[in-house]
Amino acid sequence: MSAAARVFRPFTSRALSQKLPLSSVRRVSPATGFPRGSIRAFSQSPFLEVKKYTESHEWIELADDGKTAKIGITEYAAKSLGDVVYVELPTPELEVGAGEPVGAVESVKSASDVLSPVSGKVVQGNSILEDKAKFINESPEGDAWIAEIEVSDPTELEELLDAAAYKETIDEE
Amino acid sequence: MLQFPRGSCWKAACRKKNRGSPFVRFNSSFTSDNFAQLASRPTSLHQIYQSLSTDPYVNLSIEHFLLEHAPPESNILFLYVNRPCVVIGRNQNPWLETNLQKLHNDRAGSDNDHDDVVFVRRRSGGGAVFHDTGNLNYSVISPRTTFTRNKHAEMMVRALHRIGAVNTSVNDRHDIVMFMDQPRKVSGSAFKLTRFRALHHGTCLLDSPNINILGSFLRSPAREYIKAKGVESVRSPVANVSSALGDALAPFSTQSVISSAIEEFAQLYQTGPDAVRRAQRAHAIEPELYAGDNWVAGAVGDYEANAVPEIKKGLEELRSLEWKYTQTPQFTFSTYPTEEDPRERPALPASLPPPTRVFLRLKHGAIIESGISTSDDPSLAAQQTSRMHEALSGRNLHELQLLQWTEILLSRLSTDEEPDTVRELARFVANQFGYS
Repeated sequence: MSAAARVFRPFTSRALSQKLPLSSVRRVSPATGFPRGSIRAFSQSPFLEVKKYTESHEWIELADDGKTAKIGITEYAAKSLGDVVYVELPTPELEVGAGEPVGAVESVKSASDVLSPVSGKVVQGNSILEDKAKFINESPEGDAWIAEIEVSDPTELEELLDAAAYKETIDEE
Repeated sequence: MLQFPRGSCWKAACRKKNRGSPFVRFNSSFTSDNFAQLASRPTSLHQIYQSLSTDPYVNLSIEHFLLEHAPPESNILFLYVNRPCVVIGRNQNPWLETNLQKLHNDRAGSDNDHDDVVFVRRRSGGGAVFHDTGNLNYSVISPRTTFTRNKHAEMMVRALHRIGAVNTSVNDRHDIVMFMDQPRKVSGSAFKLTRFRALHHGTCLLDSPNINILGSFLRSPAREYIKAKGVESVRSPVANVSSALGDALAPFSTQSVISSAIEEFAQLYQTGPDAVRRAQRAHAIEPELYAGDNWVAGAVGDYEANAVPEIKKGLEELRSLEWKYTQTPQFTFSTYPTEEDPRERPALPASLPPPTRVFLRLKHGAIIESGISTSDDPSLAAQQTSRMHEALSGRNLHELQLLQWTEILLSRLSTDEEPDTVRELARFVANQFGYS
């Protein structure tokens, strides 16, 4: 929960975002490799980098098209909130800024905002959750995503926590 | 009873006391104009306030300001008493959870000068409650990392034990119950969580004169017709804390509970004695604020709500009909059993044609599907339904008063039914949704 964690950015991704736009990175397959060998310092596929996290326990995963992303709450958040009884879904076309609410969940008399990790425009809310809010507890990081948005600037994702950095923040709590 | 000044003449008195910079060393007094600055000051780690306002919108908006703007590590206690009102949870349905006909009709005009019970939707979760001047609201805002749902209800139980209500405890719904003939709820809890902060607010029925009738404000005439998504209230038998202290010699004192709550909060969060002393006297002396190096204590109210732009913005949102009505989760209203709501329905009034059917589906408080007909001939009923839907589609339910229902029904059904019958139907429908 420190301010330092919020600005944390892995070195490799910082180098990437400086050299070339994220979307072009994504289109090349990991096998055919990167145009510049020197950047290939990390051993994992770049696809694994596309799911990011926030300190407020949301995740965002960019689709293969590099433009849209799904947003949800993390396993940790779902567990700590308890039984979800209602999910407020965003309406399509809603413009959200990074850190602004893109939905809300209610569990055990508690309302919590779901904040959009990046700026964008809502494509749709996950209508499965309209009838089955509890699905959030079953598959928070899978099919129980909350909103799909069109991301304004995919490089904004680079500012967010990767899985390891997120895990560190919850271990601190 | 609590002596809450109505806040008319104190502003001027308060202003005169301004002693310049808000960052004078310690234990200094400040005017209400310094509230926003003091509350959001990074060193204001301990804050205790009592409200001079009995306006539920004002109190919830001050509370929301503290949730959003106080330093992330601070612990805050805010105590307030509201005028009679019904407060529903963020994701509840006013047509299902309240008896709108018994509440002030906020859909008709904007007069604030009335004694009616007002209707409020809060920002936190949970169910519907009734407040009046015999009910004390406590609100604790603290860091989310150390928060648990029972922590502050237990704090309140310790405060109640101090005044002699020793048969109180926290139950598994995070409410406070008092053991009498049966466990009776004296306090309900609700929470709002943000990125770094947790707000826990609770009611506490101390000495409500309406204890025997409060259920009537929370019982909708349409409850047998409505099937709603969102959060449904759990009904509990209630009691006043004062009823357990009936044999005490002194009359029941709300101030003693406030005082105990402050003591318990101070113990829980190690608030210093200066802050506690100022907080304890907040109600008795002039409404002003006191602050030391790491604390703020005092009285707040209507003045702050209108003077601080962020509070005012929240206040306008809470008072808006959009927030109160169109924030409602999807629901259906049906006078006959349907697949999604197969309950048996009560018989319709005898003044309506027996084949009468009324079905509405609403999203964000607006009609998205409808089926209103009076004919037993399927093709005529279908025509009526489609004529009616043309007029109803997209309309906000809270904007349809008896007059609008009558006009729409007369214009669409008068070829098939007597005007008097149509008027009866309009009255029936309008009554279900809170208009007489």
